Amino acid sequence: MATEKTDVVIVGMGAVGGILAAELGKAGMKVIGMERGPRLTTADFSGQDELRYFQRQDLRPNAKRQPVTWRPNANANAKPLPVLNYGNQAGGGTVHYGAVSWRFHEDDFRPRSQTIERYGASAIPKDSSLVDWPLTYAELEPFYDRAEYELGVSGKAGNLQGRKIEGGNVFEAPRRREHPLPALLADQSGFIFEDGARKLGYHPFSTPRAIISQSYRGRTSCTYCGFCQSFGCHVGAKSSILVTKLPEADATGNFKLLTGTMCFRVNSDNSGRVTGVSYYGADGSNNTIEAELVVLAPFIYDNTRLLLLSKTKKFPNGLANSSGQVGKHLMAHITPRVFATFDDRFVNIYMGPSAQKHSLDDFNADNFDHSGLPFIRGAQISVSPADLEAGPIGAAISMNPPPGIPRWGASYRDFLSNYFARYAAVVAQTENLPYGDQTIDLDPSVHDQWGLPAPRLTYDWRRPNELARIEFMLVKLEELAAAMGATRVWRSPLGSGAPGAHHEGGTRMGDNPKTSVVNRYGQSWDIPNLFIIGSSTFPSMSGFNPTLTIQAFAYMSADAIVNRYRKSPGRLI
Amino acid sequence: MTEQNPTRRTFLVRAIVGTGAIAGAELVPDACAQNNQAQKDANPPAQLHSSGDRHGAFFNHDDAATIAAFTERLMPGAPGKPGAHDAGVVNYIDLALSGAYADLQDFYRRGVAQLDAYCRKTYNEPFVRLQSVRQDEVITALEQGKATEFTWPTAQEFFNIIRTHTMEGMFADPIYGGNKDFAGWRLVGFPGAQPIFTKTDMESKQAFTRTPITGL
Repeated sequence: MATEKTDVVIVGMGAVGGILAAELGKAGMKVIGMERGPRLTTADFSGQDELRYFQRQDLRPNAKRQPVTWRPNANANAKPLPVLNYGNQAGGGTVHYGAVSWRFHEDDFRPRSQTIERYGASAIPKDSSLVDWPLTYAELEPFYDRAEYELGVSGKAGNLQGRKIEGGNVFEAPRRREHPLPALLADQSGFIFEDGARKLGYHPFSTPRAIISQSYRGRTSCTYCGFCQSFGCHVGAKSSILVTKLPEADATGNFKLLTGTMCFRVNSDNSGRVTGVSYYGADGSNNTIEAELVVLAPFIYDNTRLLLLSKTKKFPNGLANSSGQVGKHLMAHITPRVFATFDDRFVNIYMGPSAQKHSLDDFNADNFDHSGLPFIRGAQISVSPADLEAGPIGAAISMNPPPGIPRWGASYRDFLSNYFARYAAVVAQTENLPYGDQTIDLDPSVHDQWGLPAPRLTYDWRRPNELARIEFMLVKLEELAAAMGATRVWRSPLGSGAPGAHHEGGTRMGDNPKTSVVNRYGQSWDIPNLFIIGSSTFPSMSGFNPTLTIQAFAYMSADAIVNRYRKSPGRLI
Repeated sequence: MTEQNPTRRTFLVRAIVGTGAIAGAELVPDACAQNNQAQKDANPPAQLHSSGDRHGAFFNHDDAATIAAFTERLMPGAPGKPGAHDAGVVNYIDLALSGAYADLQDFYRRGVAQLDAYCRKTYNEPFVRLQSVRQDEVITALEQGKATEFTWPTAQEFFNIIRTHTMEGMFADPIYGGNKDFAGWRLVGFPGAQPIFTKTDMESKQAFTRTPITGL
């Protein structure tokens, strides 16, 4: 049992934690970073091993030892999810993610107002808790810019200070300057997606990714090996927190990383402030860190879990929960997709960065007129391998064969043999609305390896607005695949109502302490020396991947802590 | 496969020969054949990470024969088209069950026992002794959850796990004991873990045939 003191303790060393560690360390604050998993290096990723990293989920939490349970509604029994998609090492999910790096649209920050202005309040489903964010895109824009340049994002602008640029995403919100690096090269799937989308009058472009297309800040550029999603990058070209911000935090001399540690409680006193954290060490020891400032930055489930586990007499409903909003409005992306095969060409989709390769934004957010449609908000559409990862195990596991071909036997073998190098998936990533009854709480019967109650998700995306949007998108995907020149196009089954990728919610940000958990800086309304930063604070979710927005918020919060909070600690910013 | 033969080795040989006759029609045979042949030529079978039907880390002979027969029906080999036996899928599963998937040992033991119980009840023979057409009927019954005699694992659970492990054994790096001599990668035209693709590679509409295939 050890006790140590520091200025700041950060729980979770992923997309947020690494940025905060570097920024606060540079400002002279003593920082301890807590990480459940190990700290790996680029040298650990020399083996591009699909079984280990995609199929057996190395770099992810072990779903048996660190279970997360799910039930579709409050009357059903929760069962452990078989696969967990977030990270389990220093750098978090940025180590194994596909590195897709979007800025949200202007109307992603005001989806409620946008909907009411354009379609009337009745267009919003009655049971949805859709709200505007407590800030505008313009207020976050400087921090998007900062994150793109600090980390290294490759892409082509489609909207430079209001000037639309063909070839970039013409639907993107205005940016002050170009990406720091030119767009990544396209592969065959990008070319055919580009051609098909243009035939239909859409606006395709190379997806912006935190993968460096040229050498940048001492790192070497992408080799287009294709092992991105699920894998650590073998040359360090993926701008993960592991290779960008943790070295920077180290260099401050003010940062200490504790790997193999599991934070199980945020400690607080009767004055209503937090005093630090308690954690289990790698050796099972029970330890305490005393800190002036506590920053929670794990994957979203653990924010809610930690707040609920840390309840006291003063905070009987959990920390930071006077609003009763902790654990509510869980969101996740659902990815309806079609598969397309080509008889007149190879596609070789295993080449080049592997996640959402080329995209179009014509049907995302409120970029298209929803008048007369039975749903609001949209989806990002991209071309990608079967399950964002491009090896043959992924294709065999994640791609259902077309109708008429069974999943096994000689005709299945021949399907794989003929089309593994001649297929593409066209995928939508939907902006599912927030609903108050989609929640995270503590499972009463399932516990993890430390004996802590597992996070329990209550969630089902199969609601009228979401189902209608998915059917609309599937038709668009089929049209696109046909326009790309596919000989055969078929749908992937939609599966259960379980949450998909990119979870958001649980500690919603807002401008009213009665209806939100934190302010725009992630600062708890109830406990000003407690910050919760990450996608758990998102009031809605956008159809875009969340990581760059998470990182922009990390920079905004770091700036507010260093330049404002520090001058009058313990006060709301 | 109409005759019965009690020895496992003979059975396995027959499984390979027998499946060639029902191989599906080629849809784009030329390019794939070229691709496969080019990669075969440049990759002599020097990496003996695995050896066909080798087993013993977990399976006994009878269970190995059953799993060999089952997985060969899922991914049957044919001339120029390596199947589960060629790739060493049984060896892969055998090693996995003695290590990474040790918690599935009873799943397999009970699954095989239930499979044979179903086959004996329905056809009076264990799975390995059935003709391939009958074996396919059995597998279909498992896949559709129609096979009786299964409690845990259920028939569909057992089918799904074997299918998943067959695909892993076909396509995982040979270091895990399957995908022998890159048989699975040759089948589908996957060049393995290439450290780099060039702009020209990515702009080509042709099969990628540069060699060698790269493993761990």
